[in-house]
Amino acid sequence: MAAKRRQQGILTGMPFMANLASRTFVDDMGRKVYVATPPARVVSLAPSVTEMLFAIGAGEQVVGVTQFCDYPSEAQTRPKVGYARPNLESIIALRPDLVVASREFIRADLLGKFEQLKVPVFILEARTIEEVLSHIQTLGRMLDRGVTANQVVADMRRRIDEIKVRLRAVPPLRSLYVINSQPLITVGPGSFIHQLIELAGGTNIAARATAPYPRLNMEAVIKEDPEVIVFPTGDAEGIPESERQLWQRWNMLSAVRQGRMHTVPSNLLNRPGPRIVQGLEQLARIIHPDVFRANGGS
Amino acid sequence: MSQSGTSPTDLGSCSSAAPARVSWQTSVLTSGRWLVIILGLGCVSLLVLIVSLRFGAETVGFSEIVRILLLAVQDERAGLESAGAVGVIMLQVRLPRIFLAFLVGGCLATVGAGLQALLRNPLADPYVLGISSGAAFGAAVAMLLGIGTSLFAVSALPLCAFLGGLLSILVVYRITISYGYLPVHTLLLAGVILNAIFSALIMFITSMMDPNRSFGMMTWLMGTLTAPDYPALGVLALYFLLGMLVLFSQARSLNLLTLGEEAARALGVEVETVKRTVFFSAALLVGAIVSVSGMIGFIGMVVPHAVRMVHGPDHRLLLPASALAGGSFLVAADTVARTILAPAEIPVGVVTALAGGPFFIYLLVARKGRLAV
Repeated sequence: MAAKRRQQGILTGMPFMANLASRTFVDDMGRKVYVATPPARVVSLAPSVTEMLFAIGAGEQVVGVTQFCDYPSEAQTRPKVGYARPNLESIIALRPDLVVASREFIRADLLGKFEQLKVPVFILEARTIEEVLSHIQTLGRMLDRGVTANQVVADMRRRIDEIKVRLRAVPPLRSLYVINSQPLITVGPGSFIHQLIELAGGTNIAARATAPYPRLNMEAVIKEDPEVIVFPTGDAEGIPESERQLWQRWNMLSAVRQGRMHTVPSNLLNRPGPRIVQGLEQLARIIHPDVFRANGGS
Repeated sequence: MSQSGTSPTDLGSCSSAAPARVSWQTSVLTSGRWLVIILGLGCVSLLVLIVSLRFGAETVGFSEIVRILLLAVQDERAGLESAGAVGVIMLQVRLPRIFLAFLVGGCLATVGAGLQALLRNPLADPYVLGISSGAAFGAAVAMLLGIGTSLFAVSALPLCAFLGGLLSILVVYRITISYGYLPVHTLLLAGVILNAIFSALIMFITSMMDPNRSFGMMTWLMGTLTAPDYPALGVLALYFLLGMLVLFSQARSLNLLTLGEEAARALGVEVETVKRTVFFSAALLVGAIVSVSGMIGFIGMVVPHAVRMVHGPDHRLLLPASALAGGSFLVAADTVARTILAPAEIPVGVVTALAGGPFFIYLLVARKGRLAV
């Protein structure tokens, strides 16, 4: 068992896991969180966390979610505790024995309060796909759902590998991912969406940018001449007409000239949870439709 | 009443009435001095425009710039095609953005100078009237509802912002006006309160939004200069120039207004008409500025002060000089903003405050005692 745990720790890129007591977990802020028994009442402070918990079969234990947790639909039945400014009182009222949050939206004062109240808080920060996978496994071990979690991760790996195999001989296309049109905001290296684009057979034209979510200069876009432009959108609303017109103006861009402006559901790509694989598959289909049409979709 | 204002020929009459023993610092504004300063600032602006054409994500040599501009002027499509991406970058992205920056910067500074005089408050800036928050609120609502269709072939976001601005102009005016008078202190307070209310509403909208979307909204509000297409730029230029000309025409009355309303009235100024004209032209300009570029801070308050410290407080000079100085300052700041981290950009407000702040402190220290409105 110890050998297996050490091996797991090393495989998930967290060698320090190997030397800790079995119920102590280290989160992405380097905090040690001790969980004596598998938690029975978990509050999730991020949609991605909620999706992970449900995916590993721990949906029963989720007693509180954010107002943006809409997947799976069962998550919407849970009490809402807020998101960027969660309501401390409603969280405490739920008597959680574990709070799982994402690093972007946990405030220091809130964290201090939780520590004072002896509520264990586990903080996740995903910058790579590998980190998403290891988060799922960590939550699995924590909540005694290790087997399911490993299955979920194995399935995700298999689907990622499938995409890799299909795109092995396909030359990548220059791609632009538009988070916001005015001003133009895109993804740079250091965000996992960048990694997804590269995995899906695209070359992110903002690869030289320094920030994870840079404002991109229009001059740079014209110079790099994207062949595909991807717009993440909400629930199937498509590219707003005004936004489409905004981009029609730049008809010197290959993507605009060839009508290669596409939408992807933002929830699949923005949330570092189990559905990023679906996002990856959609992205790959959008960037290389011919490859996936020829071989018949999976 | 005559409001001929900026025409250089009649400048002598007023300034000859000024007291005889003025030091060189507050030297009399003669038409010659007016012309020299305005021409000088005009040349500086032109220089800034040309130099900033050179810099960007893609640095282009001067000979190439001249060649592309000549081709564009002669309307030679074939030649421009051969210039490729560089031609598009120069003509479709960089040039219109520089023009927009010049217009917005000039307008912000002129409006700031006008409002400092109208409200007799050195802290006044274009955002003090609450119009900007109204426009920002309009934009936030548009983004929250995800208004997808463009209205009247105009992009929906600026339109909603402008409507929000118009709404707040009416609100401020209705709050302030009493028995046909427009008391400036009430005006100032109404603006402050409206700012507070609209900021609260914007914060509320932000907290309702998915954080991924509110990020885009906050970035837009921080101030954004993007490349407009030329028809839009033409309309904006016409609108901004008209608004600025109306403000310029009030220069002489604003001079007298700084003595206080009673004194101005005694000297034959129709105070209420002047106040209303300045209020509406400033408000309409600010609404439009915020709808095309978000809130770019610093320029509207500090550029007029800097110009005043250097060239004196006469509004016949202050207003057009602020326009030129503000325009070239924003063009220069935007050039830094779009170049320094290329291919990424930083908000232009960061540059205006970081570059302008220390310069302003220098002026304050070096020329103590000249910060008079």
